[in-house]
Amino acid sequence: MEREVIFRIRRFDGEKTYWQDFRFTARKGMTVLEGLYFIKENLDGSLAFRASCRMGVCGSCAVKINGRPRLACETQIFDIGSTLEIEPLDNMPVLKDLIVDMDGFFRKHEAVKPYLIRRDDDYENPKELLQTPEELHAYYDFSLCIKCGACYSACPASATRSDYLGPAAITAAYRFCADSRDEGREDRLNLVSGSDGVWRCHFNAECSEVCPKSIEPAKAVQRMRLMSAIHMIKSIFR
Amino acid sequence: MKGVSGWFTLKGKSLNSLAYSFHRLTGIVLLLYLIAHLSFLTSLRIGEETYTAFISTTVRLETLPLDSLLFLATFYHAFNGLRVVLNEFGLLYEARKALIYLMTLLGLLFWLYSTYVMYLFLTGW
Ligand code: SF4
Ligand code: FES
Repeated sequence: MEREVIFRIRRFDGEKTYWQDFRFTARKGMTVLEGLYFIKENLDGSLAFRASCRMGVCGSCAVKINGRPRLACETQIFDIGSTLEIEPLDNMPVLKDLIVDMDGFFRKHEAVKPYLIRRDDDYENPKELLQTPEELHAYYDFSLCIKCGACYSACPASATRSDYLGPAAITAAYRFCADSRDEGREDRLNLVSGSDGVWRCHFNAECSEVCPKSIEPAKAVQRMRLMSAIHMIKSIFR
Repeated sequence: MKGVSGWFTLKGKSLNSLAYSFHRLTGIVLLLYLIAHLSFLTSLRIGEETYTAFISTTVRLETLPLDSLLFLATFYHAFNGLRVVLNEFGLLYEARKALIYLMTLLGLLFWLYSTYVMYLFLTGW
């Protein structure tokens, strides 16, 4: 099955923002990313967008499609309709067309120490860290984040405060805090307990709606908030 | 950054964002009301007559729709706020959409009843 579709793309050339329409014939099963490549190869070579794996793994192709952040490589054109409005993600500076500067987003991720912290690290004599299936399930879902930035784009708290860590970074913090092998919970709690951390979230929960991996970042943020509250109360009596 | 418009952008968003936008909007309405309310009360310092004059301009049958809208904002904000508090304690996260419907319904019921009571009051019971 083939049908003519319109890609209405919000473009930015470094100075001005404008909308441009592209018409082409799409076939059944074609993804938005394939449509973007079609435009770049056949209609306008100057169109800029990011993509890599083309299979929902790398997280580079997230854009807003008809207002909702989605992975372009995982979204089929016909599932959306005949006219697709494609825009760069919100809450990050646009560099060119659909490419946003994700530097700040990754710095926030880095800031919460998203790795296992152990006091007995000994690379010469590595030891196996065993976990029960229950211990694995406590954090497993949250470890599936591909850092696409869709949640960050949809978050209204990130829209007004550039220092807010955002749902992805807090989810990463929770993923490690909930890991039975980790010993860095205290460090991370100190990092996310401020007003630029969990207390900035006002539970819009749109992050959970748009996450392409169904990770439920809003759930992680609320759990981290509870952990943070207990941590703060305990620290008063310490 | 999208700025404050990010609080009210609904295109492509879910019911969660609609509830969130209304919460912000009703919060702003309540803030404006609080300022007016405190101004009215402060007028008591000038004298009882000033206060009574102020009150007589607002406590009337003609302004009932405005009072009614204020109560709508109040009840929506209160019940939706309760939902947010529950969710933020990590409770009923999975039922968050059902809770939006439930709390909105409760807000509407309280609003209708309060408007009815206000109407009775203004029309002399
Ligand atoms: S939590 Fe989901 S939406 Fe957010 S960056 Fe990770 S995969 Fe993307
Ligand atoms: S291109 Fe890698 S997730 Fe879409």
